[in-house]
Amino acid sequence: MNSLRRSLFLFFFCASGFCWAQLQVAGPLQAGSVATLQAPGSGSTTLYLFGPGGASKRPVQRGAIALSADELKTAGRYTAILDGSSTSFFVHAAKLEAISFIARPSRVPATASGAVLGSAFLFDRFQNLVLTPAPVSFRLAVEGTPGEERSVSAKDGVAWVQLNSGRRSGPAQFIAGSGEVRVRRIVQQVAADPCSLRMSARRAPDGNILVETTPIQDCSGNAVPDGTIVTFASVDAAGRSTVDARIKRGFARAELPASHSATLSVAAGVVLGNEIHWGGGQ
Amino acid sequence: MIDPAPGYRRASVWLAALGLPILLALASTTHAAPPAPVQSPIQSFNIDFAVPRPVEETTALAIQRDYSQAWQSLVAALEENRAEMLDENFTGGARQQWQDAIHAQQKNGLSRRIVDHGHQVRVRFYSLDGSALEAIDTADLEIQYREGSKLLSSERIQAHYLLLLTPAESSWKVRILQEIPPS
Repeated sequence: MNSLRRSLFLFFFCASGFCWAQLQVAGPLQAGSVATLQAPGSGSTTLYLFGPGGASKRPVQRGAIALSADELKTAGRYTAILDGSSTSFFVHAAKLEAISFIARPSRVPATASGAVLGSAFLFDRFQNLVLTPAPVSFRLAVEGTPGEERSVSAKDGVAWVQLNSGRRSGPAQFIAGSGEVRVRRIVQQVAADPCSLRMSARRAPDGNILVETTPIQDCSGNAVPDGTIVTFASVDAAGRSTVDARIKRGFARAELPASHSATLSVAAGVVLGNEIHWGGGQ
Repeated sequence: MIDPAPGYRRASVWLAALGLPILLALASTTHAAPPAPVQSPIQSFNIDFAVPRPVEETTALAIQRDYSQAWQSLVAALEENRAEMLDENFTGGARQQWQDAIHAQQKNGLSRRIVDHGHQVRVRFYSLDGSALEAIDTADLEIQYREGSKLLSSERIQAHYLLLLTPAESSWKVRILQEIPPS
């Protein structure tokens, strides 16, 4: 009598659609881990599983149905369908295993404020974005210098930083790390604009004026790279003459037209150097 | 021309007057079609909380256009099982993931029909160099899971997606489209 009552109850309970609630997956689930789908009843049926990275159909026995790690490697919503009833569940990203690190620019002047930008995106081994907050450290330094370091907390899988470039020129290592994962980029720090540009002048054997700078450096003492253009100018009664010369081995030199009396000047980019009044024994 | 009797004409008018609403009512109950999807699925695009850099208006417009196209292509690709439809608007992990899903659907004779009722997008991160934009999209979707022409199940959900877009030559592409549980 009792079993008949139970059967009748189950019949009306399931007929009214409440059996749906019994199809479930215990969570929370991590990408790439196995899970069990609990399906009430017994007997064979077909399981349909739709996810963000796949869709499958296979015969199963009702009861505890195993979902493989391979079926659940993409983070997101999954929908399991069994005999017209369905359940949805979420799979979260697995633990952090990779950092996608964007560092800009690849070449930066020394001592430039806020000039180096880094964005780190945190991924698990299945390319899912890891959304749990995690500390991310950023470090920018040329070898042998203390450099600059900052730690920030990733939000929604991303951490970012804006750093000053260092004082010394050379290849700076820009490292983003979280836990055991480290990613390195190289940012080439180059000398900034020349600082205190100075030149001297002397008469050449052919009568022209030979002008030559002292070693050209930025304000931190870094040599301005060879190839940088330096402009020499001479203004006299005949007019203005200019000569562009490239820095070679730290110096720039040029030959200006002969003159009895002229004002000589030198400039590199927006930086002006000293002036020389040529003539009258100079 | 034969003129029908006045009584017959009156009866026809009454029949038409009564019958038409009944027919319309019957038609509306037998064909309970889902509401038509909106033309552009992006209903709102909020850039007020973007950090560390504000999103320029022209950039926001371009992203809305491209993200809208991405959803339209994803909906069509999942229904028609045509993975190549994702090439235009998806890249990296997002493209791989949805292409895998489509290939698996194709292999098993399955498909997904999504009726897109609109998206509300909030930009959270726009990188200083403009090379990446992250946002949360709250999407109102009706998803029908099918095997051939047979409807297996359907659900109407409010889904929350975390999306990452990166600029390509002439458009923004979806690099990550990851659904997250409601917070």
